[in-house]
Amino acid sequence: MIDALQRKTFLAIADVLIPAAEGMPAASQVGVGDEVLDRILSLRDDLREPFVRGIAAAAGKEPQAAVEALNRHDPEALGAIGLVASGAYYMSPRVRALIGYPGQEKRPGNPDEIPEYVANGMLQQVIDRGPIYRPTPK
Amino acid sequence: MPSAATLAGMGKGKTLQLRDGTEWEGAMSIDVRQAPRPGRRDEEVDVLIVGAGPSGSVAAKHLSAAGFSVVSLEQGHFPDRNAYAGRRPEWELVSQKQWHPNPNVRDLPRDYPIETSESDINPLMFAGVGGSTTLYAAHWTPFLPSDFRTRSLDGVGDDWPFTYEDLLPYLDEIEREVGVSGMPGNPAYPPHGSYPTPPLPIGKIGYKAAQGLDKLGWHWWPGTNAIPSVPYNGLNACVRRGTCMTGCPEGAKSTSDITYWPHAIKNGARLVTGARVREIEVNDNGFATGAVYIDANGREHRQRASVIILCANGIGTPRLLLLSRSKRFPDGLANGSGLVGKRLMMHPFSAVLGVYEEDLESWRGPFGQNVDSLQFYETDEKRGFVRGAKWGAFPAGGPLGATAFVGSKVFVGDEANVEESWGENLHRTVERRFGHSVVWGIIGEDLPEESNRVVLDPVLTDSDGIPAPKILYKFSENSQKLLQFHVARCLEATKAAGAIETLVVHQMRDTGWHLLGTCRMGDSSATSVVDQWGRAHDVPNLYIFDGSSFPTSGGVNPTATIMSVALRQTRHLIAERRSQEAA
Repeated sequence: MIDALQRKTFLAIADVLIPAAEGMPAASQVGVGDEVLDRILSLRDDLREPFVRGIAAAAGKEPQAAVEALNRHDPEALGAIGLVASGAYYMSPRVRALIGYPGQEKRPGNPDEIPEYVANGMLQQVIDRGPIYRPTPK
Repeated sequence: MPSAATLAGMGKGKTLQLRDGTEWEGAMSIDVRQAPRPGRRDEEVDVLIVGAGPSGSVAAKHLSAAGFSVVSLEQGHFPDRNAYAGRRPEWELVSQKQWHPNPNVRDLPRDYPIETSESDINPLMFAGVGGSTTLYAAHWTPFLPSDFRTRSLDGVGDDWPFTYEDLLPYLDEIEREVGVSGMPGNPAYPPHGSYPTPPLPIGKIGYKAAQGLDKLGWHWWPGTNAIPSVPYNGLNACVRRGTCMTGCPEGAKSTSDITYWPHAIKNGARLVTGARVREIEVNDNGFATGAVYIDANGREHRQRASVIILCANGIGTPRLLLLSRSKRFPDGLANGSGLVGKRLMMHPFSAVLGVYEEDLESWRGPFGQNVDSLQFYETDEKRGFVRGAKWGAFPAGGPLGATAFVGSKVFVGDEANVEESWGENLHRTVERRFGHSVVWGIIGEDLPEESNRVVLDPVLTDSDGIPAPKILYKFSENSQKLLQFHVARCLEATKAAGAIETLVVHQMRDTGWHLLGTCRMGDSSATSVVDQWGRAHDVPNLYIFDGSSFPTSGGVNPTATIMSVALRQTRHLIAERRSQEAA
């Protein structure tokens, strides 16, 4: 279980990694420290140990300096924190709407439709260039 | 020479009595309703198949349809489509762990670990019914004619005992069973019939990729995939969710749990899952008698059989043969040539990412190939290397895919640091690349070298205490030159299409999807492990039907050829059942 202090430290680190910029919200503004944090650490149990280790090392430090220290001394921990933060961030419906990502949704094609590359002659050009396979001796 | 029973009675559509000397001379018509009843666990069967992946599934379906009693031992389990993560928001996160193609990364109990510290490529695979196709991209790219004649044409590798033309009828049949989608008429191949389902849409990324190739006058073709565009043989139609490589939650990617096993089971084949084989046993006369396996609860069992077929992939099959040492076979079973485990080919692989101004919706599927190119597939000695490669154009996935490919973080700069990867730059990178990227995967032909091999690790074991395989594999000079050339041409094509940013991941490590060559087929028992029909030279009732038997690797995804060869070998075994010796 991630306690309140760990969550607070995580949010501070997450905002260094994913700040409010370029028209996008900061990590803490989309709730990366809420239930989704526990869900991700449950889904990715392999991240828990380096995540907790990194958060412990960063506790009480200025966030930017903590990130730089982790990058120098424990990049695995920073990688785990970063993946948890970015994973949670890009699962946020608000973020997905901002970047135009509907998720891996169903959008079936129409198998009866003549493909555009046939209709516009693109593929015919490839055919017209002739065979390119190498004939082989029997 | 001791006398041996024959399998003259196999395949007659009745419960067979193979070793009592009688021969039933009844009708030979094949009728699944007359299929033999599933055998009991302690019962000797006609055919034991180790591995329920593509090749084992082909053998199981067709042998059972011909009336053979068949048991298949599969170390993994039957896939649960609902477990695949493609529909869930955490898909990208779990694709980097639970659904990563590298078993050492997944680290699941049914996977066996692989020692890879002395390998330039990590082998990738999946334990389960359907085998590694559970996580494949379903690119359907049969070997080309020249792939069967590399020695004659280019003086490298070995000619196969049969030709492209010999294999073609089996390929046609497999394509109908698999439910391939594609556009006929590809000038990179000899004339070929139509596919059973129409091509999938190539999407905006496919058009973008094709435009670059067209500008240069280079070959491209709409992707041919083992993903049907309409419902087919138990498969649903593709809905382009784009999560093919983490298991298809729609049941629209052709895997043998859907397309083969329902038929095989209906025919009477028995599929035992959670069954990890640790040894093939032999008798004093040198015939294989059955397999010892460990079930999911750690209990040991024996399955006896008249014929044994290994279909455990290019690492699992030699591992099992090397594990099956005995007084008669002290260097491993069927290893009189000393070639078991040697000549491992895994296909050197590089990827080129092209980023474009236009919104290409590059998260949309299929995550099969949208288009491919075989422009530089054949040898041109002026290039300084022999053989060639296939390029396949993929979508780039979700936002985490802006820096990753197939579960591995690779599209970062050489000097990746906090400032480059995070902060405002993260937003800029995602804005620039996400939805705007095309990934070309370049699969190069791997030439067989005996120094690239599978051995047993002296220390590492799987969860049942069975020695794990160790891989010794180095990129050859030919592979390095080949990939450098192809990456350079691919960058030209990417830029011709208008890319505003390109990134290259050269000789990517987590790319050993294709495990080939470690029990090569050939005419001589001194220089090959099995004959052209997959029968071990040293053990008359032991067969290998998987990609282990391939003399060369081609430079394309091998599943189409693996399944076609398996059907050819299966048909021969059925046809020759009267002369098949057994213990």
